Amino acid sequence: MRWGPTSLHAAPGALRTRAGALGLTLGLTLGGCYSGAQPESGDASAGDTEATTGSGSASGSTGSASASAGSASAGESESEGDTDDAPPAFEPGSPVFPRLTESQYRNAITGLFPGPLPRPPLEPDTNPYLFYSIGAASTVVSESGVENYEEAANAIAEAVFADPARRDALLGCVPEAVADACVDGFLAAFGRRAYRRPLTEEERARWLGIASSLADGDPYIGVKMAVMGILQSPHFLYRVELGEADPEAPGRRRFTSYEMAGRLSFLIWNSGPDDELLDAAAADELLSELGITAQVQRMLDDPRARIAIQDFFAQFLDLGRLSGVDRDPLRYPLYHPALPEIMRTEVELLVDDLVYRQGGDIRELFTTRSTFVNSDLAALYGVDAPGATPITFVPVELPSDGPRAGLLTLGAFLTMNAHATETSPTLRGKYVRERVLCETVPPPPPGVNTDIPDDDGEAHTLRERLEKHRSDPLCAGCHASIDPPGFLFEHFDSVGNYRLLDNGYPIDASGDLDGSALSGARDLAERLKDDKRVGNCIVTQLYRHAESRLNEPQELPGLKAIQASFAESGYRFRDLILILATSEAYRTVAEEVDP
Amino acid sequence: MTFKVPKAPLARRTFLRGAIGGTTIALAIPTLEAMIPRKAHAAGLADPIFGLFYWANGLPWHDLHGAEQVGHPDLWTPATQGPDYATSELLAPLAAHKVSVATGLEPKTEVPPDPPGQSDGHMRGFMVALTGDRIRPEGFDHPSHTLTALRPSLDQYVAKHDDFYGKSPARFRSLEIGISPARFHDYGHWNAISYNGPDSLNPATMDPAQLYAKLFNVPGDLVALGRRAKLLDAVRDDAQSLRVRLGAGDRARLDEHLSHLDEIQRRLQLTSGTCDQVPAAPADSGDLMEKTGIMGELLAAALSCDLTRVFSFMLTSPATTHVFANVGVPDGMHKVCHDGSWDYVKVVTTYQMQCLARLLDIFQATVDPMGNSLMDRALVYGVSEYGEGFKHSTKEMPVILAGGCGGALNRGVHTREVDGNLCKVHVTVLRALGITCPSYGFNGAETTEAVSGMLA
Repeated sequence: MRWGPTSLHAAPGALRTRAGALGLTLGLTLGGCYSGAQPESGDASAGDTEATTGSGSASGSTGSASASAGSASAGESESEGDTDDAPPAFEPGSPVFPRLTESQYRNAITGLFPGPLPRPPLEPDTNPYLFYSIGAASTVVSESGVENYEEAANAIAEAVFADPARRDALLGCVPEAVADACVDGFLAAFGRRAYRRPLTEEERARWLGIASSLADGDPYIGVKMAVMGILQSPHFLYRVELGEADPEAPGRRRFTSYEMAGRLSFLIWNSGPDDELLDAAAADELLSELGITAQVQRMLDDPRARIAIQDFFAQFLDLGRLSGVDRDPLRYPLYHPALPEIMRTEVELLVDDLVYRQGGDIRELFTTRSTFVNSDLAALYGVDAPGATPITFVPVELPSDGPRAGLLTLGAFLTMNAHATETSPTLRGKYVRERVLCETVPPPPPGVNTDIPDDDGEAHTLRERLEKHRSDPLCAGCHASIDPPGFLFEHFDSVGNYRLLDNGYPIDASGDLDGSALSGARDLAERLKDDKRVGNCIVTQLYRHAESRLNEPQELPGLKAIQASFAESGYRFRDLILILATSEAYRTVAEEVDP
Repeated sequence: MTFKVPKAPLARRTFLRGAIGGTTIALAIPTLEAMIPRKAHAAGLADPIFGLFYWANGLPWHDLHGAEQVGHPDLWTPATQGPDYATSELLAPLAAHKVSVATGLEPKTEVPPDPPGQSDGHMRGFMVALTGDRIRPEGFDHPSHTLTALRPSLDQYVAKHDDFYGKSPARFRSLEIGISPARFHDYGHWNAISYNGPDSLNPATMDPAQLYAKLFNVPGDLVALGRRAKLLDAVRDDAQSLRVRLGAGDRARLDEHLSHLDEIQRRLQLTSGTCDQVPAAPADSGDLMEKTGIMGELLAAALSCDLTRVFSFMLTSPATTHVFANVGVPDGMHKVCHDGSWDYVKVVTTYQMQCLARLLDIFQATVDPMGNSLMDRALVYGVSEYGEGFKHSTKEMPVILAGGCGGALNRGVHTREVDGNLCKVHVTVLRALGITCPSYGFNGAETTEAVSGMLA
């Protein structure tokens, strides 16, 4: 299928139709899952057929098409649906209208008001398709969420204005009368930072009017009310990135310089732009690759970027699920309630190390023997870690002849993909398929028997019992693709502790991935080293995170270009941010449908 | 099956308000029967209260749930029907409260073939129980468990219906309360049971201190509150230039956001409607029973002060992964169900009914100066997401109707209708609350009938 230059913009129903059509391809990824067919061989070259290109928009911006066909498979791969030999041309994806996530709101507030602040409650974020940004673009804030905003704006403004020194520093001048020039100048400057663009004349007049009408004779009350209002404005609470006609490419829309400032800052800092970035936007520098590159390099060196990148990986790797982990210490003596959080910290330190200290191939996340342990994890992994305490993490090298290397052998992955009393090769295999390789695994068909048989005298270990379960042809299709990689982790129990026996019987940790036989988790790590799907998946997930929606079919050529550049860069994650930020896909946008 | 003449739609409260001459309400031409209230609310009894109580993962399965679930006794359905039924093992914790139960009901919504998976009893079950409608087919994604509702859940339908609050809504139209933070997924309908419509959820407050602050920490500076209320006009104005630039879907999202400002503005302008007797600041607890008690006390205080008359109370969220270790269940509830661990599910269901009993105990003990308890005023609709969680069967949905609803609801009645329409419960609830309801249920689940024997 080809996306002509006008195909998107002409018909209001275009997106809806496209998403609907893709809905029909749902579940094809693991081809013939239910019928028991084997998935396609996953050789490296097959890896970039984009098993999960996703489709449709997860945002509400397409109305009824929202969140549709999220895991539609391969529907738009080059080989399909296009009788033409020429590769389809890239077309920009749909605009979205995300609300700030809770952390973006708090970070933006910190940027606006340096110093300590109250921390009022906000509506919790949700993460459909893993990312908070997608939740923020597809859901409606509740009444109590809006009330939270009202009360937060009040609490923050009151706190700042209660301290005269802080208030004066914020204003930078002393008003001599209600809504005077000092107030006007301050509101223009403050408004630019909050709205991430200069206020229009109308907006400036509106807030100056509030500073006057609600002042009750006190200029400071007036300014405080205007600040409170700006903090509740949708221009602050939502990211408005609708683009403008691109004079260099008729029919195309690009993000404006100011919109680019917001996009870059929420992507790289998970916060609003600083003055330097806004100044670059004012000089219209963020329309050029050169201008964007300069800002991205600067921003990546800022500590905020390190936190934001950890945050991205935490979402991509689904680490939030660790907070739901509970284990009985009688059953798992190494477990205590703080352990899941410790495991999460380990992954964050590892990601930070790979991105910022090593600066090498980010895919080493899945293969490296380097990690960071506190005393609990040192005991869990059985490694010497001089200096490690319950609250001190130290770098360690896992033994070359040991069972562990890479994320898929660490506590976080092994624990959150297991049950409270037994492991789950199914959950672990599903994680490999969905999170590491970006494939789609359908849930069990409705009404199917999910009961894993008990130890009946023949099937003793969980593996044996699962293999028995798989004798049901209805189950075999999917389980044949997820259990064999999942079995590779059977040497690790539900808190990631190494074990030799399951239920008193020897462990069999052999398995396979897409037909190539493997033995144990480290074998899998080696196998993943040159699997293109791993690097491509990182790009796909970062793209979804950045765009606040699933990638759409017509964007695929753009996504592939980013994946190719990422490979050329040696899979350096910092490079990927720059490649993304300067890419055509990231800088262009389709017109609003049905405005 | 007996054919019943549908009850006419005219609501009692509408009738009463009309009689007082307060509000003019456009009526369909009513039958004479409909004009006669079945039973006026008992004299001196304050307005009715509606609550939704939700527990996860249904019942221990039994033969009537399906062919694969055979071999276990039905511990839920009382052996006798009608008033003063003999209670069952699982309902025993609620016996003191003379709750009414409807058994044998199931969702009747049509299931479109595309996208696949909409027949999954799990998602279909709680959607019909809460909204009377099916999952929205557009955007439904079975592999990722992404789903949304087509319309409001019953608590929101009631809270926003003119027949319920009329022109004088309580300080809060509704409260959303949650007990267990365990969740199957971190998104959408897996962690909320109160909806306004598609992709629009009312997340539950889980923190007692936060609920307490919302209910009882009302600032006293009326001048400052007045400024904050006026400010919202400017916020609304400031959004206008934006809304016209958005596509239809995003504009609808923004408009819903802006419409919430109306309620907040109304609240900021209230000069009354706060509690005279403020309870002590609450503790917190990780124990579901204790926390039910803590949140229940705050809720009861709010209800008796008329801070609200509608609530949802999510003991556990759909498909909960909560580990009920305190009653000897070692694994998460969702897994226990799918493992077919019937005995564990029985223990957990009993415990969840004990938690409901704890809430109802508090309501019973909260008595107004006229001697009427919250239980006399309340109608609490207790429901779970499906009949049972082993196979996700939606047969034999568990339905509890607790409280007297100001005399509108018969207490202690068991009505059994095998394969009956679950939406009869919605009709029953709405009519008992005095809300005009010619029929309820959508996309194949429409019904004009209430559960027989329930309405007084």
